[in-house]
This record gives sequence, structure tokens and C-alpha cells, in this order.
Amino acid sequence: MTDTASIKKQESTRTKPLVEIQGVHKLFGSHHVLKGIDMTVKQGEVSVIIGPSGSGKSTLLRCINLLETISAGRIYVHDDLIGYREVNGKLHDLTTKQIAAQRREIGMVFQRFNLFPHKTALQNVIEAPTQVKRQSKAAAKLKATELLEMVGLGDRADFYPSQLSGGQQQRVAIARALAMEPELMLFDEPTSALDPELVGDVLEVMKDLAKSGMTMIVVTHEIGFAREVGDTLTFMDAGVVVESGNPREIIANPQHHRTQEFLSRVL
Amino acid sequence: MSRLLSRRTAHSGGAGLELIDAVPVRHPWRWVGAVVILLILVLVVQSMTTNPKFYWGTFRTYLFDVLVIQGVGWTLILTVTSMIIAIVLAILLAFMRQSDNPLFRYVSWVWVWFFRGTPVYTQLLFWGSVGALYPKIIVGVPFGPELFSWDTATVINATVAAIVGLGLNESAYLAEIFRAGLKSVDNGQMEAAEALGMRRSKVMWRIILPQAMRVIIPPTGNETIGMLKTTSLVLAVPFTLDLTFVTNALASRTFLPIPLLMVAAFWYLVITSVLMVGQYYIERHYGKGVDNVTKAPVQATAAAAAAHAKPVDPADGTTEGGRP
Repeated sequence: MTDTASIKKQESTRTKPLVEIQGVHKLFGSHHVLKGIDMTVKQGEVSVIIGPSGSGKSTLLRCINLLETISAGRIYVHDDLIGYREVNGKLHDLTTKQIAAQRREIGMVFQRFNLFPHKTALQNVIEAPTQVKRQSKAAAKLKATELLEMVGLGDRADFYPSQLSGGQQQRVAIARALAMEPELMLFDEPTSALDPELVGDVLEVMKDLAKSGMTMIVVTHEIGFAREVGDTLTFMDAGVVVESGNPREIIANPQHHRTQEFLSRVL
Repeated sequence: MSRLLSRRTAHSGGAGLELIDAVPVRHPWRWVGAVVILLILVLVVQSMTTNPKFYWGTFRTYLFDVLVIQGVGWTLILTVTSMIIAIVLAILLAFMRQSDNPLFRYVSWVWVWFFRGTPVYTQLLFWGSVGALYPKIIVGVPFGPELFSWDTATVINATVAAIVGLGLNESAYLAEIFRAGLKSVDNGQMEAAEALGMRRSKVMWRIILPQAMRVIIPPTGNETIGMLKTTSLVLAVPFTLDLTFVTNALASRTFLPIPLLMVAAFWYLVITSVLMVGQYYIERHYGKGVDNVTKAPVQATAAAAAAHAKPVDPADGTTEGGRP
């Protein structure tokens, strides 16, 4: 399974988009949250999604790593159909084992960090590599220390999450996701729960990550980040993509009145 | 008492800083209450020591009697082994109850329904008479030849019957406590672990359960102390070596029930106290990272380097500092 995945990786680089979202709908009961989303993200691209709360942007993100299941459409990451196996046009559910394998390729950072409170920063970061990838503890620790250095928390390895500020916790969470060496990182409003003066440190780490070539999908309210770091900007409202394109152009000159309205309120 | 007498003592700090040395609010009624309670206590002690019908001499004679000490031992064995069985089953039942597999959920539900829904005394009677129901335990092909067989009476003797009876009954109550504990853990923990590619069983075992233990331990300690007393029902099996049975037997032999009740009460209190000490340490272990952590300086700058060496102040009495 991993062998074929890695072969595919080499073949498809740069020719096909890393993430392909095709006609995705999501219904919570009768509540229609996503109404036909199409979106592509190329390898190494930073794709920023903005929109008012309730627009479905977080739901879309959660569908990509199967924290929610989609009601219609297809999501491909690296040519792998997410959540299903397609046989003769009929979709079959993946087993929990296969779902776990797909998730390993996709890192996720949450609004509320969701660090494991009973583990230190270092233990948080090595948890998945040692438990899922079966890396040796020594190797995982070495890598984790490197990652914590990278996010500026090398001296905080032995601290519990409750001893860290929100911004520090979020940076540990980023390191934890990176420890699995994902090819795609999802950020679900990573700075929305932070005090204003702590936002900058987290955005700085995300900028570095973008520069290093990581493919990222970022749901955020940080318009400045979108303008500076984003390769594409997607504006969602009421479950549809209203406008999408170059972030600087959209922010400077939004075409759709709903985009104009939203930007005038947040800028 | 020290609370009553407590007074703020202000040490004048450095740099000519004048600390507030306010006169505390007086609580005269606390003193009155303390005197009343003390008086009652003195009266109780006085009546107990002077009333000859307590037979304190007999109490002292039997307190360390071999039979009594053995009874204490057996009561401890019954309590600990049945609780271990109950905890293992309860974890399993709680996980099953949260499973995606509907079969697991139903089985878990029915188990709890049955063992919680019938009296423990009845269940102990049943386990005591299982030998009469099934004289032999036979392993073989269903509806086919038998391979092995044992006498039920030797496999399920009184001790086993008592432990199994207590353990299975308790597992139903503990399963609900464990379920409540698992539910108390924030959903984001499950999501974060699953997003890392961890399988659900691993998430439960390594992420959810350790956090749930904080909530699980206090009521489980309660149940353990309850079990200590419930072991006195094993005469239903009949199992006749536990503390209550032994002291009752001695009481009817000596015709002095009161001092032997006192002996039993004394030992139950001693065991309870020991269990409470154990609970304190278990709670502290599972509280790591959440309870009793010293807040480290939040701004990561120069101060961090100094704090790095010992993230948790040992003087604070907390354990589990950083492991490098």
C-alpha cells in the first residue's frame, strides 16, 4: 500500500493537483452545509479559505481528513479517493485501518489546539510517530526536538500544555502534526482562539512552513496572512465558493458584492 | 483547629515595601461551635471508657487474634481480587459501549442491566450453588464428544465463587463509572488523535482513558471502600473466613458481641484508611499535566532557559517532571 503510494507520488508530482475537491456536498440532517464545492490545490501551494462563520469552510476542511463524511462528490488527495474505494462506479466504505492510513498523510491543526493535556510537549509530538509509524523512541525524540526548535519551543519540550500559553500550545500542535511528515497540512482557524499578541508567533511558523514548500489549506480570518503568504484565496459563503483566485487581487479588488461586504467588515 | 487559629502573618518585604497587615474578621461563633463539638467528643469518649459493657479487655484480647488477622487478610484478598476483575471488565464494557459495533454495544448494555439489576446477595448464592446446577464442567465439541472435564466443586470452590460473584456484580457499576469518565474527555482529543492516523482502539487506550482516569478514580475509590464492606456478604456462598464472619463467630462463642463488633470496625477503618492513602497517590499520578502543575512563566524568553531544567517545582509536592 505504501509502496504504490510512493510510486504514485513520484509520477504525479506537479502534473496533477495534490488535492482535488469535486462537487462536494455535505448535509447535516436537512441542513445543507456545503452545496457543490469544487477546488484544487497544487503541490506546494498555500490555499487560504475565508468567509463568514457558518459558511462551511471548517466543514470542508474536516471533510478532507474524514472528520466529517461527505454526502456527495469526491475528494482526492494524491489521486487517492478519500474515505472510499470505487469499484465499478460503486463506492465502498474504507475500513478504519485504511482511513487511519489516509489520515497519516494529512496533518491537521485545530482552532482549540487539542494537545494531549496528560503529555508533555515532547510526548505530544512523539506520540503518533512512535505509536503509529512504530519509530523508535530515540529517533522520534530526535526529530521531535528538531521540530520543537523549528517552532521556537526547543526549551519547552518538558512542559505540559497547561504550562504553555495558547500561542505556544498551537505551535506544539503544529510540530505534532509535522512529526508524521504529512504531504498536506490543514489549518482550521489556527489563530482564532489566541490572544492578539500571540497570533504573530503562530503565523510566523506557518509562513516558514509555507516557504519550505509544504502544501497547506488554511481556514482563517487573518486577511494579512492570506495576502502575504497565500497562493490562492477562496471566499466561501453559505456553502458555496463565491470567489476564488489570486489573494492580492481579490483583497484589493473583490468582484462579488458578498466578498466586498465581507472584506469591508474584516479589514 | 489550625484553621480556627489561622492568622495572616505578614513579613515585611524588601525594598521598603509596606505590606498590608489588616485586622482579620473575628469569628466568635466558630469558637462556640468548637467548644460544643469538643464537649460532645469528651462525653462520648468518657462514656465509652467507663461503660464496662464495652469489655475493652476482650477487645484487646481479640484485636490481634490469629483468626481475626487471617480474616483481615481474606477480606483484603476478596476486595482486591474482585476489584481487579471488576476494573478489567469495566474497561472492556465501557469501550464496548462506545464501539461502532452494535453487537458490542448491546452485549455491554445487557451485562450492566443484568448484574446491576439483581442483588449481589442473590448472585453470591447462585455462584455458591453452581456446583449443584452443573456438577461437572466439560469442554468438548458442541453436541459432540467431550474432551476434558472437571468437578465444578474443585474449580469453583468457595473462594472463587465469592471473588467471581463480587467481581461480576461490581463490574456493572464500575462500567457506568468508566463510561462517564470516557464521556468527560473533550471530543477534540479523539479528533486530534484520529487526525494523526491513530486507530480508535489506540486512541481510547493511550489518549482518552488516561485522561478519563482523573474522573474515574474518585468514584472507583468509593466503590473499592464499598466493596470492602460488601465482602461481608460472602457468607451467602458460603465463604467463612472473612473478617465479619470470623468476628461474628467469635462473638457467638464468647457471648460478647459488642467488643468483637468493635474489633471488626477497627480493622475495616484501618483498611479504609490505607486504601484512601493509595487513592491519593493514584489520583496524583493521573492528574499530571492538569492538577497541581505550577504555572510556568508564559512568555518564552530568557526565563524559559532557567525554568527548563525543572519544569515542575518539586517543592510544590507535584510529581512527574519532565523526562528528557
